[in-house]
Amino acid sequence: MAAGKVKQDMAPPGGYGPIDYKRHLPRRGPSGYTLFALGVGSMVYGYYTLFKWNRERRRLQIEELEARIAVFPLLLAEHDRRTLRLLRENLEEEAIIMKDVPGWKVGETVYHTDRWVTPSIAELYYLRPKAEQENAMHGFQWYV
Amino acid sequence: MSSTLELPTFDELEVHEVLVSSAVLKAAAHHYGSQCDRPNKEFALCRWEEKDPRKCLQEGKEVNRCALNFLRNVKLHCAEPFTQYWTCIDYTNLLELRKCRKQQAAFDDCVLEKLGWVRPDLGQLSKVTKVKTERPKPENPYHSKPRPKPNPSFDGELKPSKYGSRSFFWPW
Amino acid sequence: MDSLTIVPPALLIISILMAVAFLTALERKIMGHMQLRKGPNIVGPLGLLQPFADGLKLITKELTLPLLATPTLFILAPTAALMLALAMWSPLPMPSPLADLNLGLLLLLAMSSLMVYSFLWSGWSSNSKYALMGAMRAVAQTISYEVTLAIIVLSIVLLSGGFSLHTLTVTQEPLYLALATWPSMMMWYTSTLAETNRAPFDLTEGESELVSGFNVEYSASPFALFFLAEYANIMLMNTLTTTLFLSPSTPTFLPALFTIALMSKALLLTMSFLWVRASYPRFRYDQLMHLLWKNFLPMTLTLCLWHSSVPMSMFGLPPMT
Repeated sequence: MAAGKVKQDMAPPGGYGPIDYKRHLPRRGPSGYTLFALGVGSMVYGYYTLFKWNRERRRLQIEELEARIAVFPLLLAEHDRRTLRLLRENLEEEAIIMKDVPGWKVGETVYHTDRWVTPSIAELYYLRPKAEQENAMHGFQWYV
Repeated sequence: MSSTLELPTFDELEVHEVLVSSAVLKAAAHHYGSQCDRPNKEFALCRWEEKDPRKCLQEGKEVNRCALNFLRNVKLHCAEPFTQYWTCIDYTNLLELRKCRKQQAAFDDCVLEKLGWVRPDLGQLSKVTKVKTERPKPENPYHSKPRPKPNPSFDGELKPSKYGSRSFFWPW
Repeated sequence: MDSLTIVPPALLIISILMAVAFLTALERKIMGHMQLRKGPNIVGPLGLLQPFADGLKLITKELTLPLLATPTLFILAPTAALMLALAMWSPLPMPSPLADLNLGLLLLLAMSSLMVYSFLWSGWSSNSKYALMGAMRAVAQTISYEVTLAIIVLSIVLLSGGFSLHTLTVTQEPLYLALATWPSMMMWYTSTLAETNRAPFDLTEGESELVSGFNVEYSASPFALFFLAEYANIMLMNTLTTTLFLSPSTPTFLPALFTIALMSKALLLTMSFLWVRASYPRFRYDQLMHLLWKNFLPMTLTLCLWHSSVPMSMFGLPPMT
């Protein structure tokens, strides 16, 4: 057993080659520029469609408002008559209720003025059932 | 001091009211607005100038009469397409006109053919218009009091206050 | 008005609670499959009855009140949480809302801000420092993320022209709003994750690491109330996202199919909530705050300015009534 040439387990002369430890992630999907272009493009398209539709919506709104303008005098006239009728009924009822009170002036206004004062709902409906007054106040909210 | 409320009698308020629902009114609105333009504007002007519903009853009745006439005409000549139209409008909560263009076109055609009414263009009904009227312009619709007399002029000498400004800490 | 008025809200509440129940089952199933487990599969077919078993268990358990807790507030907080979470559904258009409010979006924001109080009260009234600190964490996070939510809502309102949710439906008839405002939508979606205390922003829960946040002291039915409120809130937020960005009425204009379209989109968003939960690690608290105050807030403010100036300069303002 002569001490022959022992092959020492060593690194190859010049050392090992560089170890490939860097992460290799596959480049998937479209590139960043493409994504950016797609994003901007969708925004442009979105705004274009939205603004076009918004202009159309404003035209539609004008149409709706004009319908209201057209009907308004009719509704106002009807409303006036209803108010005056209620006031007249209240006046006659008041005359019956207060006939025994000496010195009572029927229909005396509480306001120190001659001008027309739009009566409040309470003033209009105080001689009527509670349900009617509530309907006049909140009735429209029960729709929908 | 306070005055009594003056009210018209029931007879003065007696009118054959327009008994239709909101969908019908909205469906008819544009044609109604152009057909009953005069009485409507007359009434609106009266209400605007007088600030008092009691003084515009006559004009209001005129509005009502015109509306009734209009609806009777529609019923006489175009009942079928009109019913189609307002039923369609009644279908949505907000009574949207844009959902019913087909029915609207049918109604417009019928009205144009039978009665010669043209649907007003967009913006025509909301235009500012001048109204010619015989009703005199009311004097002082607000019943405002006459302006008070101006203060008498002061002849004496005006001096600065003796003890400085009353707002000691904020002397401006 | 009469006794029948109770019917529509009751129907809504029942369907929400059913949806919430099955959402928990769905969550456990999806999480299970994503982690190569089976998820619940014993109770009922495919484990579908699991949420009801859980609910029964929670309800039949004894209600324990910590000795030092403030009893009234301790019970009131979870009740308020669930009531708020249910009440928030009322202005949502599906397609007809329970309460047709013209300031519906504002109501939603206000109510979701009120949710904070239920966290705060529960943490405080437990009289335990863990609960209190958990409540502080939850409150700080929730109100921070509400800032961006509010600003994004504002910029969307500028494009649609009204705070009513119906207006949003009308605005999105030709196109999803998400196409034009996708940066806002991405931030909105992340903020809703944080707002509802979901992973990866579940700093308030943090079961094992953070002793479960504000509801440590809760068990049995009050805990069930909190649980329901949380999941109802998740569903609500996703429905709101759909209404804001994903055009609830598309692809159909048939009113009968509106609800189905809306809820399927909301369900897809909810599923991605679960996906996010299964995929991402929890944020650190400073990162969470940093993300909001240093990234989202400047960007949303900028977008708000952008959305108020661009429609004006392009003559694309919506009708504002």
